[in-house]
Amino acid sequence: MRRLPTGLLFALPALIVLLALIAYPVVYTGILSVTDGSGAFTGTENFRDVLSARMTPRAFTNTLWWVGGSIIFQVILGTAAAILLNQEFPGRGIVRAIAVIPWVVPGIVAATTWAWMFHTEFGIINYMLTGPGLMDEPVGWLTNPDTVMPAMIAINVWKLFPFVAIMVLAGLQSIPKDLYEAARVDGASFWEETRYITLPQVRPVLIAVTLLLVIWALNHVTTIYAITKGGPANLTLITPIQIFRLGFESFQFNQAAALSVIFFVIAMVIVALYIRFLASSGEVAR
Amino acid sequence: MGTVTIDQVRKAYGTLEVLHGVNVNIADGEFVVLVGPSGCGKSTLLRMIAGLEEITSGTISVGGRVVNDLRPKERDIAMVFQSYALYPHMTVAENMGFSLKLARADKAERQRRVAEAARILGLESLLDRRPGQLSGGQRQRVAMGRSIVRDPAVFLFDEPLSNLDAKLRVQMRSEIKALHQRLGTTTVYVTHDQIEAMTMADRIVVMHGGRVEQIGTPLDLYDRPANIFVATFIGSPAMNILEGRISGGRFIAADGSEVDLGGRGATERGHVLLGVRPEHLVPGPGGLPAQIITVEPTGSETHVTARLGGQDVVGAFRERITGRPGDVLSLRPHPAALHLFDADTGERLEA
Repeated sequence: MRRLPTGLLFALPALIVLLALIAYPVVYTGILSVTDGSGAFTGTENFRDVLSARMTPRAFTNTLWWVGGSIIFQVILGTAAAILLNQEFPGRGIVRAIAVIPWVVPGIVAATTWAWMFHTEFGIINYMLTGPGLMDEPVGWLTNPDTVMPAMIAINVWKLFPFVAIMVLAGLQSIPKDLYEAARVDGASFWEETRYITLPQVRPVLIAVTLLLVIWALNHVTTIYAITKGGPANLTLITPIQIFRLGFESFQFNQAAALSVIFFVIAMVIVALYIRFLASSGEVAR
Repeated sequence: MGTVTIDQVRKAYGTLEVLHGVNVNIADGEFVVLVGPSGCGKSTLLRMIAGLEEITSGTISVGGRVVNDLRPKERDIAMVFQSYALYPHMTVAENMGFSLKLARADKAERQRRVAEAARILGLESLLDRRPGQLSGGQRQRVAMGRSIVRDPAVFLFDEPLSNLDAKLRVQMRSEIKALHQRLGTTTVYVTHDQIEAMTMADRIVVMHGGRVEQIGTPLDLYDRPANIFVATFIGSPAMNILEGRISGGRFIAADGSEVDLGGRGATERGHVLLGVRPEHLVPGPGGLPAQIITVEPTGSETHVTARLGGQDVVGAFRERITGRPGDVLSLRPHPAALHLFDADTGERLEA
């Protein structure tokens, strides 16, 4: 009999726990998606039902807006903040600490606070805009169809740009000072240094961080569910919230499972494409 | 014109002054080496020429133009860094052509000049590689290539060989020297290695504690060091220093041993230092007794550490010494090659 490799033996307990925690729910979701409430096999019926629902394509489009809008502003704002926090100025340590706060605040607390701030009548945002006369009338941020999704995205950006800033800052600090000095001797301005030295040097960090942000945005429930539950009129309904509501509000667990499977496959494809085309063209350690 | 004039240059970080008024004049086409122990200010001075450090007071001119307030790229200089500072995400060709790209030179011109520099340095086959795929010596050459492409009035080198192994260092030393002879561009080279300084320089600037100790050709410094610091810093093994006094034209060491000064030392002096280079200790009858402590054969010569006149001295002999520790040799300092220094000021004493 061949002996099991010692390394595998030591890793086995952890692997078993991981399998139980991850593989079991995945497999069980798969089973749920092809059965009905009594456990009888129904084939693709759940998939057909869920795909024909009117809100499903709506939720997909919303999800794309939500993920795209969040990522772009999180990365831009986070990178800019990191570059600023990397400059020398008095009180830099304190400013760095303050900048992390949004990320540290629990999601539900942030959501509730922002819901109040966006409140049409009592919110501080409308108060500050109408007080000095910047706007004539208060805006119904969370009820107006044009502003509700941007408001949600703004909260998500506020919540996660510090994470990007911290990761990029760590990347910035590992860039040797010599490179900037060489670039200065070669005649680079601040913008040229940023474009030709800083950004290429933090590219691996940006790629890894963006991947995480995409995954987090795709799986996001807390902020939107706590504030609008996907409303008004499904305007902020993104797929993870549709799944949640289908399962835990309509108790259509089998349809929710079917939608989960579809969404899981799409998410995997997006991530795989991302790694294939972006991560592998750089020198990112996978 | 690649002259460099450093006039009364000072550098202070807050209240801490690290350069105390440095004056150096460098002629067009000269290869000048700034040498000194760590912390002597040589790198700071080089970075001030490059424009990477502010000049606290005094002026630096390149080609007759005061550059104090000019940005690095306007100073007509190029610099090779200790770490080479190659851009890791760019190919060799992109690294070398980066300054031209920033200067908005057209592509054909850029390629022509990169190709020319690559040819000079033998880098043609490596142009598409990235720095991470190169050996230490190749990176060093790319760093020089980046400088050559800019065709500056002055090359600045900041300890460029210290990251290379001993053999490669000797090879690159002669490559840099050959390159300088070929291009004839004024070069300022910083090193802490006095052998590098001796072998490469037209003139050496010895610095110590933020001051210039002596400026001269390598052999000037070796044969006529201006003070005890230069005497002991230049030369390997270092010059032997004996404490004593001068009396009746002879040097009398602390333990009473006497050395003939060969006609020098007419004036009586209470407290002087006698410097003798290791190769100027001649074995033979009529010398001072020296008890051997260690014998180090290097092949071409033999280094002997011995107790002479109450102090440890090192002798370097072309002939092979077969003595063992404890044996007594007779060593005679060569009278024409002795150096005398004032023990209080450290300055050289003439006649």
